[in-house]
Amino acid sequence: MTGWWLTPPEWQAIRLSLLVAFWAVVIFLPPATVLGWWLARRDFWGKTAVDTVLNLPLVLPPVVTGYLLLVMLGRQGVIGRPLDQWLGVEIVFTWRAAALASGVIAFPLMVRAIRVAMLGLDTRLEQAALTLGAHPVRVFFTITLPLARHGLIAGGVLGFARSIGEFGATIMIAGSIPGETRTMPLYIFGIMESPNGIARAQGMVIVSILIAAGALIVGQVIENRSHRQAGGPKR
Amino acid sequence: MSTDLLSFDCRFQYGQGFTLESAFALPPGISVLFGPSGSGKSTCLSLIAGLLRPDAGAIRLCDTTLVDRGSGLWVPPHRRRLGMVFQDHLLFPHQTIRRNLGYGMASRDDNGTRLAQVVEMLDLGGLLDRYPGQLSGGEQRRVALGRAMLSEPQLLLMDEPLTGLDEAMRDRILHHLHQAHERLGVPMLLVSHDQVVVRRMAGHVVVLEEGRVVDQGPAHETLDRATTRTMASHPGPINLLRVEEVRRSGDHHEGVIAGQRFHLAGPIAPDSTTVYVRCLPRDVALLIGEVSRISMRNHLVGTIRDLIHIPGDHRALVAVDVGQLIWVEVTDSACRELGLAIGVRVTCLIKALATDVVG
Repeated sequence: MTGWWLTPPEWQAIRLSLLVAFWAVVIFLPPATVLGWWLARRDFWGKTAVDTVLNLPLVLPPVVTGYLLLVMLGRQGVIGRPLDQWLGVEIVFTWRAAALASGVIAFPLMVRAIRVAMLGLDTRLEQAALTLGAHPVRVFFTITLPLARHGLIAGGVLGFARSIGEFGATIMIAGSIPGETRTMPLYIFGIMESPNGIARAQGMVIVSILIAAGALIVGQVIENRSHRQAGGPKR
Repeated sequence: MSTDLLSFDCRFQYGQGFTLESAFALPPGISVLFGPSGSGKSTCLSLIAGLLRPDAGAIRLCDTTLVDRGSGLWVPPHRRRLGMVFQDHLLFPHQTIRRNLGYGMASRDDNGTRLAQVVEMLDLGGLLDRYPGQLSGGEQRRVALGRAMLSEPQLLLMDEPLTGLDEAMRDRILHHLHQAHERLGVPMLLVSHDQVVVRRMAGHVVVLEEGRVVDQGPAHETLDRATTRTMASHPGPINLLRVEEVRRSGDHHEGVIAGQRFHLAGPIAPDSTTVYVRCLPRDVALLIGEVSRISMRNHLVGTIRDLIHIPGDHRALVAVDVGQLIWVEVTDSACRELGLAIGVRVTCLIKALATDVVG
């Protein structure tokens, strides 16, 4: 073993996992916030249907979700074709596809965390802001979002941790290309098929546990800090 | 156009339950919506502020129509230029007091002079860098008041601004409200079920009961009538007398009620020339004829305007007009023996020590 006990391909998989999870959260957290707010505040015809579709990725086998994504985003897919023809962007079997797959799988978790936080928020504070002459958009950004921040943090952390662990949908739509789409879970799965796999996977298993635990701790620390800023345990 | 500040004519129903169906107009100045809890006062405020939509009717502020269901016109709450002070303050818990106060400030380029003025008036200087969670109830209320005033409203709406405060804090906030009205010229509409508050604050009163306007007009006359109606119910009337020309006389203070001398007991703020005195109807005695020598210091002569026998209780409430209305509680037998009736001239005897100066 040279230098440290992780090999360059292992480091590569870790870096790729972090990159994929980071972009999955960055891209999917804003729509999750809007949707969480919408579902918490508005009652509309067909809400149950929206809820069902939204939560499907939680209960579907990830491989099925991956299949559906592949069908939609492939070169002949309803989304993939215009992207390819008009913008020259190819998604399938790139790291972007891995980020997308992770984000879609983690999306319901993010929405749920944010929605719960929005439901717990006193809507009369928003009314008070309106009576002070603030435009609803300003109210959303200065009152609603800061007060629901623990939901956003929880959603982001959950989404990040879930993305790190994504396997089924990723392998369907992104494959397992070293340096491009072979994230930590795919790496571990691949190495298990090689001789002495159990022993060789140990390092990556430990790193996975550390990253997951680290994400949860970071989330907790951020939340504690924002609580203190707001002047104690009140709300 | 009329000279009304606000005209209100709305119907609103909560689900299958309570229905508000009221119409009133407010002159400029300070007005109060008065009535027992559940009478629809807060609903009126929410309708005016645009937090609720009426099922029918219209609301106009000065020359602007805020809502008119007939023509479908609707001004959203953030464009209404109404300040609202909520009963539970609703300060933004994640912002400092300074940012709370500045949240609704219409002009950001006034170099903070207006902010400084309000901070000074409401005595908020020491609180600016704290968070709402670190403030007492009275402090929060002052901040909520300041925040609403700084949004430069055309009308300031206040939902029970004095409920739940101790007496000293209540006097202070009343003082601040008067000051705000005088110095900033903001018209106000308060919601209250407290006669004392209403008598001290209001120029105009609208009385609501079960979602309907039952009376409206100048404060004192309207309240006297409202008191008559709710007489038998708890807590009954409370006398609040306005004493003017207060001055020191030897070891005590005295003033004038409608041209008659009035002795005051207890401490008086050195610079006040007008104070309010509270006393219970049962602490007032009635006399017919002349009094020669008696320890009761205050003798106010007037005419009986109203007499209400409380059923099943062997007592009666007598309204005596001495220039202001004083309610007196007597037993039925005393009432008979003295021959009390409307129009009879009597003297109200009030022990100075049975009165309570409320500032």
